[in-house]
Parts: sequence; C-alpha cells; structure tokens
Amino acid sequence: MGSGLWSTDVYDAAARFRAATGTSAFAHSDSGATSTHPALDPRGVTVRESRDCAEHPRSLAIAVLFDVTGSMRDVPRGLQAKLPQLLGLLLRKGYAEDPQVMFGAIGDATCDRAPLQVGQFESDNRMDDDLSRILLEGGGGGQMTESYELAMYFMARHVAADCFERRGKRGYLFLIGDEMAYPAVKRGEARERIGDGLEADIPLADLLAELTRKWDTYYILPAGASHAGNAQVLRFWRGLLGQNVIELADLDAVAETIALAVGLGEDMISLDDGLADLADIGSEAGSAVSRALATIGSSPGTVTVSLPLDDLDGPDGNVRL
Amino acid sequence: MTESAGPTGPAGGHVIVVDLGYGDAGKGTVVDWLCRGGGFGAVVRFNGGAQAAHNVVTPDGRHHTFAQFGSGSFTPGVRTHLSRFMLVDPLALIAEADHLASVSVPDALDRLSVDADALLTTPYHRAANRARELARPPGQRHGSCGIGIGETARYALAHPADAPRAGDCADPRALAGKLTLLRDRLAAEAGRRSGAQGGEFLDVPPVRDVVTAFAAFAERVALVGAGFLPGLLRAGRVVFEGAQGVLLDEWRGFHPFTTWSTTTFANAETLLAEAGAAATRLGVVRCYATRHGPGPLVTEDPTLELPDPHNRANPWQGPFRVGHFDAVALRYALDVAGGVDGIALTNLDVAERHRLSICDRYLHDGRPVRRLRHDAGRDLARQERLTGMLLRCVPVLGDPDGGWPSAVARAAAAPVLLVSRGPTALDKTPVGAGLRAGRPLVAVRAAAPGPR
Repeated sequence: MGSGLWSTDVYDAAARFRAATGTSAFAHSDSGATSTHPALDPRGVTVRESRDCAEHPRSLAIAVLFDVTGSMRDVPRGLQAKLPQLLGLLLRKGYAEDPQVMFGAIGDATCDRAPLQVGQFESDNRMDDDLSRILLEGGGGGQMTESYELAMYFMARHVAADCFERRGKRGYLFLIGDEMAYPAVKRGEARERIGDGLEADIPLADLLAELTRKWDTYYILPAGASHAGNAQVLRFWRGLLGQNVIELADLDAVAETIALAVGLGEDMISLDDGLADLADIGSEAGSAVSRALATIGSSPGTVTVSLPLDDLDGPDGNVRL
Repeated sequence: MTESAGPTGPAGGHVIVVDLGYGDAGKGTVVDWLCRGGGFGAVVRFNGGAQAAHNVVTPDGRHHTFAQFGSGSFTPGVRTHLSRFMLVDPLALIAEADHLASVSVPDALDRLSVDADALLTTPYHRAANRARELARPPGQRHGSCGIGIGETARYALAHPADAPRAGDCADPRALAGKLTLLRDRLAAEAGRRSGAQGGEFLDVPPVRDVVTAFAAFAERVALVGAGFLPGLLRAGRVVFEGAQGVLLDEWRGFHPFTTWSTTTFANAETLLAEAGAAATRLGVVRCYATRHGPGPLVTEDPTLELPDPHNRANPWQGPFRVGHFDAVALRYALDVAGGVDGIALTNLDVAERHRLSICDRYLHDGRPVRRLRHDAGRDLARQERLTGMLLRCVPVLGDPDGGWPSAVARAAAAPVLLVSRGPTALDKTPVGAGLRAGRPLVAVRAAAPGPR
C-alpha cells in the first residue's frame, strides 16, 4: 500500500531538510560555469564502478548520456528536469531489481570544453546531484557529428560493473542525441580528454563490438532537437544498433521510455503491461512511449544488437565502418 | 517562455479557489495561472493535507503534482503558507520539495511558512490508518489514501491538547512526549479493534527518529504564529487554494463517501474574517463530472472515453470515473458552499472534441429532481439518506444550449470568468474583465437562486 504521492521515509528526511539548500537543478550551468564540474571529469578516471552490496545484491548498471551541444536546443534542460524520475519509475514497478544509474553528457571533442562528462553509478537520488552538475555547453560544430564515440569508448573501457563482471549480464546504456558519431576514437582525444595512451585510433565498428559485449546499447532521438526525425541520423544509428534506436516524440516521456526499455530488456514486463503501469501511476506518457518502443516491445526478450551493418556507405556520404 | 497568461494590472483583491465537484477539476492549474499573471504574493492552503494532488504543467513542459506546496510555486517569489486548518506532513513535504527542486523550483522551502498550530500527520497516523483498513473485512475496505489524514483529524478531535502540532517540532522534548502518547494510544486502539492484546505497531519508526526528522523540519521552515497571515494579507494579494471538492465535504458531502475536511469556502472565509479581509470566490468545475473511487456519480457514463493524463485510476483512490456535466450536483455544491462570484470552467478542449451532455435534472422513481435540498446542520444520517437517494437517480441528458460557458453559467447562476482548454497557463482564457486584477469582485456575488 502506498502512502501518498511523495515518499515519507523518516530516515533520510532530516538529512534532506538540511541538504535542501535552494540550489537549482541546473546549478552548475546557471552558476556561469564554463568547464566540466570536477566530479564529472573523465580525465584520469580509472573506472566508474557499479557494485553489488548488501542492500543491492544484484546491481544492474544503467547509464544515460545525453548530447548537450547546441543542436539539441532546449532538450538537455528538459532532460535534466525529467531524468530524476527514472530511478523511482524503475523501482516502483520492479522493472529492475537493483538499478544503479549514472548520468553523463556528450559534446564535441574537436571544439568543446566539456566534450565528455560522466557521473557516478548511484542507487539513490544522489545521482540527481550529478545531473545538476552537467554543464550544458551548447557548443558543437555544424557537421552533424558529435563525440559519441568518445563516450562509447569510456563506457567500454572505463566502467567496472558487477552485473557483467560477476554475472555476465549486460548493463543498459542509453545515448540521447540528434547527431552521428565520428568514425573512430582518436588517439589524441583519448589522451587529452581521458588520459589514455592508445596505440592507434579505434574504428567505430571495433569499439561497438567491445561496447555491446558489456552494454545493451540504445540510441534515443528526441523531438525538439534540431535533427529530430533526420533520416541520415536514424540510418546511421540503426546501422549500428539495429532496432535499439528509439524516436521519441514527446520529451516528457523520456524517463518512462528508458524505464520501459529496461523492463522489456529484463523480461520483467510486456509492452502492454508496461503501458498499463504507466497509466496506473498517472503518467501521461503512454502513447508516446508506446510509439517509441513499438519495435522493441513487439519482440520482448529478444532485444538484440545487430552489427556490423553494411549499409553505411550510402549516398549521404557516411564512411563505411 | 511566453508569459502571456494570467491576469495583469494593478493590485486587486484576494481570491479563493474551490473545486465544486469531487476534486480533480483543475484547481492547481487555475492557481498557477492566477499566480503567473503576477500580483499575487502567496498561496494559502486552508484544508486537507498531503493527500492533495494538484497537477500543474508549465509551458516548457515541467510537471509537478502539488500536495502541500501551493500550486503557484512555479512563479518565482510566490510564497506558500500552510494555515492552521492544514494537516502538515513534514516527511512528505521534504520529498515534494526535492521534486520541486528537480523541476527548477529550488527554493520552495525558503518560500514556505507554516502556522505553528497546524496539526501534524505522522508515521503513527499512517500505521493506524493501515491497521484500520486491515481490520475491515476485505470487501468493505474504504481504499483510503493511506496517508493518515483521517487519523490525524480523528485523534485531534479526541485529544485536542495532545495532538502534535507544527510548533511542537521546535521543542523536541515536548514533541517526543506527544508522539509517544500518540503512538501508544493509536496502537492500543488498533489492538482493541483487532482483538489483540497489548497492541503495538510493527513497522513504525521509533519516536526519536521521527523527532530528529521533525526537528530538522522546524529548523528549515518558518513556523509562524496567528499574526502572520493577517500581515501576509495586508502585504499583497493572496490565493487561497482549496483541496478536494465541495461534494466531498465532511458534513455536506454524500456520506459516507466524504473526506475528513471542510472543503467549502468556510475555512478560508474564517481566516479572511480574522484579518478583516475579503476575497473573490472562484468555483472550479469541469465540463464533465469526475470521481475517484466509490460513491454517487449520477451522470456516470462508462462509455465516455475521455483523455485524462493525470487522473487515471490509482492504487490509493480507486478507479477514475467520468460522466456528463451534472447541473443538479453543481447547484447543490453552490448551495452548500454559499455561492460563488464566478466560475473557472476547465477541460473545455475535451468538451469541444467529444460529445458531452449536460444533465439539468434527475429522475428519482420517475419524478424529476432539479435541486437537492441541503441542510445547514451536521446530520450525517440525513446525508446518508441523500446518498441512498442519489444512488437511485437516473440522469436526464441534453445538449449544452448556446455552448458550454453559457450553459454552465446558466446552471450555476454565476458568470464564467475563466475557461481552460489544456494543462498549462497558456491554455487559459479569462472571460470578460472579471479576473483582471484590480476588480474587487465581491460585489457581483451571485447567491444561487431557487427554492431552499
């Protein structure tokens, strides 16, 4: 039985009253910051960890990284406002047993000051602190590519998660954006931004193989971004991720969409059940989520990553991977 | 963000916003619209507690369900005052404040004041509520919202001097005493009901933990005395935000399908009178009838498929039911609430897209009923007979002559001052000059006419 809309846990109430300092969810950006918050700086990070503990014995790593470049317009701010709901959604409906969520942001390593920002995996609302620290740089170039590959590289090489290390179970990675990745992880950027010495650039296809061994990877293209619905962008990501490309018509539904994608992937629900759950909790997101997940939900439990595809050298000028 | 919404102009009077149905008419969005127009310094809550669920969506897509904070909180600087008639739940309050911070309202606690006399809802009230529900045979559970509102009101009636109040949070020793007494009494009662000996609640936090949390509440939030509200009313315009709906009123609603709260204008008028102030009385009503959970809903029509993003069935209140516009129930609500100065008519967009009817009379055993007699006393047996009668009534449906606003104005014998066609302030349109600031509307109050 619930106890109303807002949780009434006595044990963290005092700390939360004391912590409620009146800072905005967009605190870091609104403070006039122009660089990555130290807590989110990937430079020198050996690994971000998602670990089991007594309280969360079967941790499941879930990472959400979103493009914060100018082409995304107001979407990142909307995401910063909406994503705090994610953990509650996952837990309330039992879509994931012990979710540990990390937030991060993606920019353009060729020209931005904060091309990669990565938080910590958290099992409680401390992750919201990371969300508020994300710098909404609004940079990027005009070439419809951002440094998604750098984020994918970080996720492939710099996360240690018990779900895949101890249980051989993939985590979930959601990339939210409206542009394409660069064709390879560049040595120079890996050195400068993360501090890694690579022998050579890593082609995207190689990276993807490595990434998807650990992460069930999704790309979400939200409405409201400059390239929403862009065929070239969609083709690019479908080529990499197959049906795990989600067009999201309603940004308000982003947390619900992610939660449901996890629930489907975990085989905890069918799409119909998930939509009924959304209705139960009074979410208005049902129809948007339904459209967004139509493909994925039609084959629950068979979420797969198809790679590599060969259709990337099309007339739009994409580089063959 | 475009801020074309809301009344503008010089300072005017205070406004009381009350739901004329069973709740869910959209009080929150009306309060949000009023505050966005500027000129309002504060929102005052005057009934109910944390069970309120007033949904507000901003034009840029942020959404919050207001439970204890005033629905004007999205407008920077607008304060919330919880009057002594409010049942304050500090634990739910901090959770709500945290969510507000996540939707770019970081300073809700800084803008909050709480009357030291307001009753507190505690984990022990919740436990008593749960125990009471479980003691009922499964088929007869009330599906109460489980927050402990009823238990809070009940305990304060039985033990007014011992009931914990907001001001006690500043005195941990006194608070601990009251909480211990409360816990032991409620547990003993629950034990007697269930026939168990030496009743004791399982799964409740120890008193010292509750004291710690409530003391942090007292340190963070401004606890104020009776003199605060008159000052607030002198300092600027204030919206009084009602919770629930007139048809759920503890004495005037259709017993036993009611709430533990006075849901009419009465508490707000009491507070205003103490300050020598007056306010415009705004009644909010939808173009169709809605109700959560059981109880009379004469015009109910399960074949209506109306979109309602925020008010679907929920586990605490039971199914969300809809029906056609009920002018008979509206007239009853106006009679028991003492009339309104104007109506805010919401969900007009739904009425414009769906074929909705208006019910101007019922048939009770074949005889027409246009008006329900009301009684100023506190006679619950009478209210229960009224409920029984309503459950046997069938609606007579017709079309809204001359369009919805004029049909509703005719039914209410009061002007429609605001129409709403969607969830945000930008979807609201004032009608005439009635809600333009600067007009003290008290002069136009329309006492509902007709036989008593």
